Amino acid sequence: MSEHDQDQPDISRPFEGVRVLELAEGISGPYAGRWLAALGADVVKIERTTGDPSRAFGPWPDDLPDDETSGLFLYLNGDKRSVTLNLETSDGREILRELAASAEIVIESFEPGYLPAHGLGYDDLSADNAALVMISISPFGQTGPNANLPATELTLYAASGQMWLTGHPARSPLKNGGSQPSYQAGLNAFAAITSAYYGAVMHEQGSYIDLSMQETYAAMAEAFHNRASQLGIETQRGGNFLHALWGVYELSDGYGGICALPRNYPGFARAVDLPELQEERFSDPGQRLVNNDELMAMLFGWFSGQTRQGLLDLGIEHRVPFGFVASFEDLSNSDHLQGRDFFARHDDERAGSLTYPGRLWLSSGHDWKMGRAPLLGEHNMDVIHGELGYEREDLVRLRELDAI
Amino acid sequence: MFDPGRPLTGVRVADLTMIWAGPYAAKILADQGAEVIKIESPRAWDNIRTLIPPPVALGEHWWNTNFYLHEYSRNKKSLSLDLASDDGKAVFARLLTQCDVVIENYRTDVMDNLGLSYDWLREQREDIIVVGMAGFGKTGPEKDAVGYGPIIEMMSGMTSTSGYGDDGVPYKSGISYGDPIAGICAAAAVATALIQRKRTGKGQYIDLAQREVMSTLLGEFYMDWSMNRRLPEHMGTGHDWMAPHNVYPCAGDDDWIAICVRTDAEWEGLRRAMGAPDWAERTEFSDQILRWEHRAELDELVGAWTSSMSKTDVFAALHAERVPSSPVWKMLEVIREPHLSARGFYEPLRHPEVGIWSVHGWLWRTDGAGPCILAPAPDFGQHNAEILGGLLGLSEDEQSALEQAGIIAARPEGVPLASEMPATPSLL
Repeated sequence: MSEHDQDQPDISRPFEGVRVLELAEGISGPYAGRWLAALGADVVKIERTTGDPSRAFGPWPDDLPDDETSGLFLYLNGDKRSVTLNLETSDGREILRELAASAEIVIESFEPGYLPAHGLGYDDLSADNAALVMISISPFGQTGPNANLPATELTLYAASGQMWLTGHPARSPLKNGGSQPSYQAGLNAFAAITSAYYGAVMHEQGSYIDLSMQETYAAMAEAFHNRASQLGIETQRGGNFLHALWGVYELSDGYGGICALPRNYPGFARAVDLPELQEERFSDPGQRLVNNDELMAMLFGWFSGQTRQGLLDLGIEHRVPFGFVASFEDLSNSDHLQGRDFFARHDDERAGSLTYPGRLWLSSGHDWKMGRAPLLGEHNMDVIHGELGYEREDLVRLRELDAI
Repeated sequence: MFDPGRPLTGVRVADLTMIWAGPYAAKILADQGAEVIKIESPRAWDNIRTLIPPPVALGEHWWNTNFYLHEYSRNKKSLSLDLASDDGKAVFARLLTQCDVVIENYRTDVMDNLGLSYDWLREQREDIIVVGMAGFGKTGPEKDAVGYGPIIEMMSGMTSTSGYGDDGVPYKSGISYGDPIAGICAAAAVATALIQRKRTGKGQYIDLAQREVMSTLLGEFYMDWSMNRRLPEHMGTGHDWMAPHNVYPCAGDDDWIAICVRTDAEWEGLRRAMGAPDWAERTEFSDQILRWEHRAELDELVGAWTSSMSKTDVFAALHAERVPSSPVWKMLEVIREPHLSARGFYEPLRHPEVGIWSVHGWLWRTDGAGPCILAPAPDFGQHNAEILGGLLGLSEDEQSALEQAGIIAARPEGVPLASEMPATPSLL
């Protein structure tokens, strides 16, 4: 162990000693806060007195709704501390200002304009804290004609252009499963915060960031929006196929597929081992597109004889981009993922035995915390009494005033 | 003077990435102010340059112009350098002494095969930060699996969640969703490692598996499996408690609008927007639970209203009533969408051989930041002299010798000019 390590025993996590105030509910802000907490930050999650609404979304063990066992909440809030505050009360706002004074990072997802109107905007919170990094996450950003338009996952999927591109060409546009507009915004927020915080550390100057979920999602429209703007060409949704070598096929035991660029063709032809694939009408990239339907018909037959694991193994053997549609059962039991310590495992007193993604990447220079999520208001005493110095009688009064 | 909009100013990145996931990461680093040097071999360039041949790719030097390249490599510099040769590697070693970060998204084994292992990189610069973005990671039984975005999406669990629900078919996203997701995360990994280096003085190696990052966007499904041994059902565009919650056809060619109602107040708004039709008074639509139970009939009635109007007119009526809704914007529409335009999301990009078109600017907006896009994607080898001469101090003779030996080049080897090319069918 070097001298440096002895001086700073907590250095194994990059955000150790960094305070984050999470004024965010649902998925996007909490997802970003979750990884900061896992990287060592002290993430104080400010919850409304009835709790983050994600506590009221499933799944729950045995389908029994319980604010302390929501799978969504438990996944997104590991290693945070929960403090309840009612920001509609002046006491609640005062406590928040006191907490913000010692924070390096604030994550918020209120409706645009709410925090500034309550004296809690970036200018207020950074007045005596110039290095503060604050990010606002909202459906459409803080400005513009739609800033205060309410949104859902589905409407954001449509507004970003993503939905137009997804689904079968002869059917209605389709939404991805889950809550991708929120999750991708949370991941972008995490990147924005880490980058801005690096700047704040280097220059002792903070910043205020306006993140629009619509924009971060629209930015992923691959090059399809560029194709529209550079060439004036519209893109039609293609369902599960771009062409024969880029699509999802039915296998003998599920679904799987191939995504091959022209340079992957030789390996593909070796792996599939059908003599026709050596013919120029398929091996030549240009002719292959002309004969796409014929090739695809042939491949429907070939894929239907493959198993999911067999296809993946064949891809590994021949270095061909093959894969299968994995289920959460497959993934939870995957030797590969388990061997890479991808999962957090937690025996929760209330929720039972849980296995879920516990980190983003593997690092030679730091590790990840994989602890449990807090109960509602679990840390009111530690934070408001222990750190801010309010007396116990104050806590009683604050509760009776509905401030905590 | 510190520009909070470009917090990574002063960071230099050796960018060995190709195609999409890696370049998306390096794009974010470049937008955030890092000096990103895109390094490509004269014989193994970023495949995206030539994936879409003329006539789609414009201009005589078409490997510099296609929209794919510019989407992911604006604000970067280009150094053409053959890392497989000893002399090229020696130049790279000199460059590394002045770099903070190396980022790559090659297949798992390629860096080691090139002799560019983490140990070797660290010998050139002890506190180097190295990010490897192999699809399945650098260790484990599946490390040698190869995959682009849709494979990553399939292998992460994502694709299993999506489908219409009536045919059992899982659907992939319309984009290569795994790529930008991995790219955003890799940019965060770089910033995190820079923070750690500032605290400890040490660099690190980051093994970022694209499939794992995508899987973190699906936490509730892992929980449902843990808690109830249940796998997701395909929901189509429906919802497990909201109704209406769907895409509805509008007048026009393949035009649709998404509408969602979460509360009685939003239902009242929708009712007013529709002109308070009699059917909306019926008792089976009088609360959220009843509306959800009668959602099939409700979808038909709402669809009958939307199908007589343009999607923008439906949206205007719903916007006024604060009902969550959005037209399903097509690509030619989203680039001119009024709200995004008002925020300046798309910015002009200028290239001498193509002219001006628009690309997206800031992923997120820092207060006080100016325009995001300072330069188009670099021409192949555009910054060779600046980097080799200016940064590394190689003489003009030394640079000429490298060019003579084919270690650097002004264009990808063997790629004809557009005017020399036979017409071929295009991928797109």
